[in-house]
Amino acid sequence: MADMTLEIRMQHFRAQGLKWVLAPGALVILYVFFGLFGRNYFSYPTLVNIIDAAFYIGFISMGVTFVIISGGIDLSIGTVMMCSAIIGGTALKHGFPMVPSLLLIVVMGVAFGLLNGVLVSRLRMPPFIVTLGTMMISMGVGSIVSNVQSATFPIRGTPGGWFKSIFLYLDPNGGAIPTGAFLLAAVAVICHLLLSNTKLGRYTYAIGSNMEAARLSGVDVRKWQLLVYVIAGATAGIGGISYAAIYTTVLPAQGQGFELYAIAAAVIGGTSLAGGIGTIWGTIIGVFIMSVLATGLPALNLEAHWQTFFTGVIVIGAVLLDMYRNKKAAEVRIETPADLYKTSMMEKIAALRQEASSRKTAGDGRQAAEIQVQVNAARSELKATFTKMKADEKAEQARIRAEERAADHEFSEMLRRKELAQQEENERQP
Amino acid sequence: MGRILSMKKIDKRFTGVHALRQVDFDLEEAEIHALVGENGAGKSTLMKVLIGINPKDSGEIHYLGHQFNPRDPRHALEMGIGIIHQELNMMDHLTVAENIFIGRESTRLNGILLDKREQIRRAEELFRRLKMKIDPREPLGRLTVGKQQMVEIAKAVSHRLRILILDEPTAALTDAEIDELFTIMRDLAHRGVGMIHISHRLDEIHRIADRVTVLRDGERVDTQRTSDVTKQQIINMMVGRVIYEQPKTKSNVAPGAPVVLRVNRLNAGRLVRDVSFDLREGEILGMAGLMGSGRTETARAIFGADEVQSGTIEIRGRRVSIQSPEDAVANGIGYLSEDRKRFGLAVNLSVRDNLAMATYDRFQRGMFINASRVRKVTEEYVERLSIKTPSLEQLLRNLSGGNQQKVVIAKWLIRNCDILIFDEPTRGIDVGAKSEIYTLMNELTREGKSIIMISSELPEILRMSDRMVVMCEGRLTGELPIEGASQEAIMEYATMGHEEVLSRS
Repeated sequence: MADMTLEIRMQHFRAQGLKWVLAPGALVILYVFFGLFGRNYFSYPTLVNIIDAAFYIGFISMGVTFVIISGGIDLSIGTVMMCSAIIGGTALKHGFPMVPSLLLIVVMGVAFGLLNGVLVSRLRMPPFIVTLGTMMISMGVGSIVSNVQSATFPIRGTPGGWFKSIFLYLDPNGGAIPTGAFLLAAVAVICHLLLSNTKLGRYTYAIGSNMEAARLSGVDVRKWQLLVYVIAGATAGIGGISYAAIYTTVLPAQGQGFELYAIAAAVIGGTSLAGGIGTIWGTIIGVFIMSVLATGLPALNLEAHWQTFFTGVIVIGAVLLDMYRNKKAAEVRIETPADLYKTSMMEKIAALRQEASSRKTAGDGRQAAEIQVQVNAARSELKATFTKMKADEKAEQARIRAEERAADHEFSEMLRRKELAQQEENERQP
Repeated sequence: MGRILSMKKIDKRFTGVHALRQVDFDLEEAEIHALVGENGAGKSTLMKVLIGINPKDSGEIHYLGHQFNPRDPRHALEMGIGIIHQELNMMDHLTVAENIFIGRESTRLNGILLDKREQIRRAEELFRRLKMKIDPREPLGRLTVGKQQMVEIAKAVSHRLRILILDEPTAALTDAEIDELFTIMRDLAHRGVGMIHISHRLDEIHRIADRVTVLRDGERVDTQRTSDVTKQQIINMMVGRVIYEQPKTKSNVAPGAPVVLRVNRLNAGRLVRDVSFDLREGEILGMAGLMGSGRTETARAIFGADEVQSGTIEIRGRRVSIQSPEDAVANGIGYLSEDRKRFGLAVNLSVRDNLAMATYDRFQRGMFINASRVRKVTEEYVERLSIKTPSLEQLLRNLSGGNQQKVVIAKWLIRNCDILIFDEPTRGIDVGAKSEIYTLMNELTREGKSIIMISSELPEILRMSDRMVVMCEGRLTGELPIEGASQEAIMEYATMGHEEVLSRS
């Protein structure tokens, strides 16, 4: 561990650190792009819109991140969210008070999570099938309970309308504070802490990476797997409340497709569908990339359905980039003579500059100026020579590759001819 | 005899590792050339360069007198260079014939329909030629590991090979299967195929190889005719120091040492039948037996990994109920699986996560994990077991086999398990790492830990055990003290027939 050289540190950054920069970088670039080319994009209302659009997908995508890291998948999370919301709204319609109705939404989410968890962890059913089933069940339950009628949550100014302020606080002077962003951030921090600093989180990674090894290490796989689905259910409940708060009216049999956006957000953020890899931070970035797209494309006069198109492009692009990055991180750069020359010249220049500045502080201005001239000369020499050396090396490599290819071709031809001759001979004398 | 392959000054670097340094290697027609070295010495890397999995950084490969730049394994195979990997790469659910001809199936009607009958005929002919007794219609997964390997060889040979690379082909084979394999290898050599034989079992080298090349730390130490070097000389070249491999003559267990584990009439699955034995404090109990004798199954039953039908387990005189690995770990039992990639490690997680995996509940402070304690403890064990890794964050898949094994051992030590079941602890591990693991095991028993060691290598059993039990067909057929034990005595118990076992008991 002591011999952690600079080279290894760089490798480590390329392997681990770059991951932290790529997705946020893409988010910033997208935001700036829409800001430059979209109408009124750099504005506070737009920012509020971006955050608004991030809520419900944001909560469920965190839940689904847990499930995916554990090596599973949750297809039911979108419909569970909407089912919970409509059940809460229906309860409200039948005279339930506001707070219990909202709690009921979370309870419903947890209940579905529990059902998924029991089926997956106790009965050892494949998560895909289980959650495909509960996806349809939850959609049906929502319609049955609501009697296929939409549920409307109270609007601002009416009794119970306060709950909208959880997600967007409108102050009387006409300003808007997206308070929900704080809630989203708080849930994200909790999820992050759970994943990185608790037994639950470490076991989630362990189970996703190698379930059997985790079991044989004495990990109670069933318990932790169950909990992961319960967490996903709970985030669906919170997502349901946020949906109700922002859109007021919840229609029955909705939510299909939301789970795919949630999964897409996780994947954009670097979560591996094979399990064992992923972060909450990445997922949040993924969510915001999608919501910037959702708000930015209309600002370019592109209709909203372009969002689906570009989200797809980004999902594929993100995974491609991740694969490329992993490949690059595993590669080793070999220093060519040109690189070595550059390093030595840089050192020389640094030494000269050091001397110049020390002379300057000593009051020897003329000498310092002379050395500065040397520095400039060395710099231009470095630039010219390095460019030439690099170009030569590249040409040389291309030449070698071409030769190798030619030799290769000739060799295969020769082998083929030999084999043909052998065959002919075999046929002649059976 | 002509030289068919010559690799010159091959150089290859990976992240943080100079895997090959100016390595020279050559192979002649019809030659069997053994390639030996510790884990991480560069054997596999050199072969991966040869078949185009890893491109070389510099150096030259000449094959049949031409410069050769393999693009990928497929290209190498087309050119007549095939490899049999240590881990078999085949499809369990397909039949033997389908596995052999995958990608180049026999077809009818211009490639529209598969011609299964023709394929089976071709496979049968191939097996006849290679003198293998295998039914091509059988699904591959039903064959023993030994037979599966034969199939893999047959598959390789069915291409017109000039060079066949065998990466530890004997690691999972019984002695009888090894004999069969060597017969086939000699037969292939007779047909002019050159073979590169990678092995950790040095005894084999004199039996099968014409020449031997020793690699150490990515450099070639020497190439010699096998008739000109002794086993000890090869070992010395591999490790750069002298290792003595001698059987233990006397038990190191104190006479009055308490029994820590008592297994009584354990029954589980098909392969654990009325197994009873004791393990004493500070003892290494060797568990011998042929493949399929029920050793691993017994270990898994004790550990709670598989369901137990009947029988009792006592730990330090107290009867315990072990329903799951969790219970076993809570009772201080740790299990090192024979297949560490599948059952022991999460290769995509870091060294630290793997080390701490069994112990997270003890690292908690309140709800959260005490990260600095995890770091401190795992660092301590990396140091203590001299696990070679650039950092705790390194992903486990980047470590060599020996170091991965040390990580699994350290995992149980961190958990403070005092009954350790080591199932083939040195399988696929080089001589140097092996002796490190032996030293570690002796150290552990001195500290009062007790070890059950399952091994197929009798010299290893004889070298390490204080006492031995032998299994055959799911039953314990014998118990031997180390004093006066011999390989022959163990084998006698290991091959005892079913009736004999019953009549004796």
